[in-house]
Amino acid sequence: MEWQEVVKRLLQNKISLLGILIILFFIIVAVFAPWIAPPRDPDAPYLIPRAGWSIEPQPPSDEYIFGTTEGQYDIFYGIVWGTRTAFRIGLIVVGISTSIGIVLGTIAAYYGGWIDEILMRITDIFMSIPFIIATIVLVTILGQGLTNVMIALITFSWMSTARLMRSQVLSVKEDEFVQAALALGANDFRIIFRHIILNTIFPVVIQASMRMGSMVITASTLSFLGVGTPEGYADWGQMISFARNWILGVEGNPLNYWYTLIIPGVAITLFCLSWNLIGDAFRDILDPKLN
Amino acid sequence: MIAYIARRLLILPIILFGVSMLIFSMIMMLGPYQRLSTYINDPAQLKGAEDIDQLVSKYGLNDPWYEQYGRWIGGVLKGDFGWSESAGAPVTKAIADRFPATLELALLSLVPVIFGGIILGVLSAVHHNKALDHTIRIFAVIGWSFPSFVFGLIVLMIFYGVLGWLPPGRLSNWATEIVRSADFVSYTGMYILDGILNFNFSIVLDAIRHLIAPVITISILWWAFILRITRSNMLETLKKDYIRTARAKGLADNIVVYKHAVRNALIPVVTVAGQMVLGLAGGLVIVESIFNIRGLGQFMANAAQQLDYPGVLGGALYFGFLLILINLFVDVSYAVIDPRIRLE
Amino acid sequence: MNFLNKQALVEVKNLKTYFYTEEGIVKAVDGVDYEIYPGETLGIVGESGCGKSVTSLSIMRLVESPPGRIEAGEINFQGKDLTKISEKEMRKIRGNDISMIFQEPMTSLNPVYTVGDQIIEAIMLHKDVNRKEARKQAIDMLKKVGIPLPEQRVDEYPHQLSGGMRQRVMIAMALSCDPKLLIADEPTTALDVTIQAQILELMNSLKESYGMSIMMITHDLGVIAEVSDRVAVMYAGKVVEYTDVDTLFDDPKHPYTWGLMNSIPKLDKDVDRLEAIPGSVPSPLNFPKGCKFNTRCPLAEGKCYDEEPPLEEAAAGHKVRCWRYKDLEEIKKRGERIYEDRGVQK
Repeated sequence: MEWQEVVKRLLQNKISLLGILIILFFIIVAVFAPWIAPPRDPDAPYLIPRAGWSIEPQPPSDEYIFGTTEGQYDIFYGIVWGTRTAFRIGLIVVGISTSIGIVLGTIAAYYGGWIDEILMRITDIFMSIPFIIATIVLVTILGQGLTNVMIALITFSWMSTARLMRSQVLSVKEDEFVQAALALGANDFRIIFRHIILNTIFPVVIQASMRMGSMVITASTLSFLGVGTPEGYADWGQMISFARNWILGVEGNPLNYWYTLIIPGVAITLFCLSWNLIGDAFRDILDPKLN
Repeated sequence: MIAYIARRLLILPIILFGVSMLIFSMIMMLGPYQRLSTYINDPAQLKGAEDIDQLVSKYGLNDPWYEQYGRWIGGVLKGDFGWSESAGAPVTKAIADRFPATLELALLSLVPVIFGGIILGVLSAVHHNKALDHTIRIFAVIGWSFPSFVFGLIVLMIFYGVLGWLPPGRLSNWATEIVRSADFVSYTGMYILDGILNFNFSIVLDAIRHLIAPVITISILWWAFILRITRSNMLETLKKDYIRTARAKGLADNIVVYKHAVRNALIPVVTVAGQMVLGLAGGLVIVESIFNIRGLGQFMANAAQQLDYPGVLGGALYFGFLLILINLFVDVSYAVIDPRIRLE
Repeated sequence: MNFLNKQALVEVKNLKTYFYTEEGIVKAVDGVDYEIYPGETLGIVGESGCGKSVTSLSIMRLVESPPGRIEAGEINFQGKDLTKISEKEMRKIRGNDISMIFQEPMTSLNPVYTVGDQIIEAIMLHKDVNRKEARKQAIDMLKKVGIPLPEQRVDEYPHQLSGGMRQRVMIAMALSCDPKLLIADEPTTALDVTIQAQILELMNSLKESYGMSIMMITHDLGVIAEVSDRVAVMYAGKVVEYTDVDTLFDDPKHPYTWGLMNSIPKLDKDVDRLEAIPGSVPSPLNFPKGCKFNTRCPLAEGKCYDEEPPLEEAAAGHKVRCWRYKDLEEIKKRGERIYEDRGVQK
């Protein structure tokens, strides 16, 4: 299917349209962050400004429209700049790990034999450690910070792409179309290239779009566990780690500090949801069998 | 078939070896002084640079990596996984103490995930594009997008904070006293089972009450996962020729779906289940942290944060071993379901 | 109205099966009439997309709906109109009174159950026997369809059998409950030529011993010639010619049938070039006005573009749907060809 047709259908499908709209919203927030929530220190925009030093979170007010967390970090600021953080994490981690996966998977499938065996065993080894635990270990070793979090995430997330790419290339290798084209002399290299790419890239792209969401969730989980971005960094998961002591509210009003949890939680969920919606719709469009 | 299993079992030690090497090399990225910190409980006790160096050579932290690794492996083969500083106990004991809690949680979570996910996935496919299908799909995609820790915290907030129904931890205080007393025999370490075996049903109920929230939190994510895969596989299977043949024989619709289609549709789901178990381990870490359950996940998270590397290595090996066994089990059931595999 | 003035087993009257798709309404079967008599084989021949499979699926009520629907018409079988009875009643007929076998033996059997299980399932569904007896009957059926060592084969899985054997199993399963009508939709198309011959022969001999009728759907004139008693030629959702097999080959009256006959080489005729029908079947979303064959017919003129010809009786036991079949007869008598000399008028 041609690119134009795919894009047209993505826009027509109500589900993917919703996803696209949500992401557009996030993109706008991320791009215009410096104007929506001007940083106090232009050299360190990711440090959330503090409204004071007291421990107790403050509810939404005129000045701080989403309220503040424990330690008086401005939630609104954190959400806005956290959008940038989320995109950075998503795009860099998914971009690099997908590239690694594509390369390794293609090499394994193309050369086969013991190269394939070794690469697959290495993939198995990496896949035998639970993802969260492996990333916790690596971040603890490397130290806190966004870059280290991204390194850890990349190190342990290329495997599924590698496996997928490998199986795609393997099936295309056997494809009669390719064999026929080769038998005919295959002067139009571009056709084969396009055919192979078309068949192998789309499932990988679908998987990548779903992973945009899951990587942000994992990163925020690490921050929540205290093994992610440093304290006060504009990161949605970080803000929720501050909410941990307050979710039980006060005597008589258990939902007193709801905003410390719900607002960043909604941000993460919407971000991930939108990528999943797009990925889902993408898959429905590209898979004629399910129509 | 036997050869198939044997081959998989032979690869197991190789992969475990690889896993341990991987983690060991990660930890080796730290210098000897940093690694020393896991052995020092009170930095004030150190009397200066010489003291530190002495300790470094005492623990062999400056030796070539293969020597250190060899030492560790040697210990492992003798059943000695070293001492876990974060737990204050030998690694083997630390893991053994905490394993039942995790096992109980994992088993109880798998049940709703697998059955709920598969049944809803089948229903969704059978009622393709109708209201039921759309509703189920919406819940599935939201469930898949919700971060576990946020969901867990919300559950805690509402069901404990507001309603007071589902408290964190494994047991209430009164129940913990009973369990620790001499009258109560700890057969498995899993409170529901032990409660039944001790004929103390108030313990059973208390344990269940504490498990509801964590189980739901873990399940939501993976239930959505299984549901989506089952649904798409069912949709594909229902279009196959042999389904048309089954209808042409005059079979009723529900027999066609449940006898002929489901078994075929589940084949790819089973292979995915192995991957899911891996993800479940991550969920256990989060849930045990939030709901304060003294299990393997919580242990791993603490050990990692404190760089308790014998703890991390031991725990990772343990998890790895379990995962590989589970994957083997999954592969074997794959062969049971699909006769085409059996006869290879 | 009875065609041969006998009691028909199945009478299809003005059957219309439409598919409501995103791109429009596809009139796959658009007013089709034919009869199947006891003990005979009716061949349905036509190109892909002419609606031959859909008529058979309509008889079995296996048309996927949505998007398909039996829009109008009757299908009379043993005093019942199959388009009107309940699904429950229809299930009693499927696999029991009317059975069907399909084109792809490789994928038509469930891979996770044994061959025997699948036959036994059919038997126990319609007959009141226990499993032991059903198994005996299943083995018996396998023997009847010529599968060697049936006691062993009955416990094997489909992937352990070859394509030809699988098709035999399908036939065994279809006949296990003694149906009055067997619908065979391109049963030999996916098989090797030698196996093809064996399967057709098997079907013929079983027809004799069971005293049943067969509806043989195919695009292959050779198969038609081999097994049919009478033939209905279909084009674009309609029957265009309807007669017995010998007459069809000796005296085709419709230009389409004429084109089909003359596009295959024959041993007893010496021709320099084969006639080929130019063009292709029009899209079902966009049928032409008038006779649906007018886009390719060399004889099309005037009325052919305005009004669709009815299926009329050109001779005893021979129906044609064409305005100019008499002209075609003249041309044939003169020994001329119509496809090459005349060309196609737009």
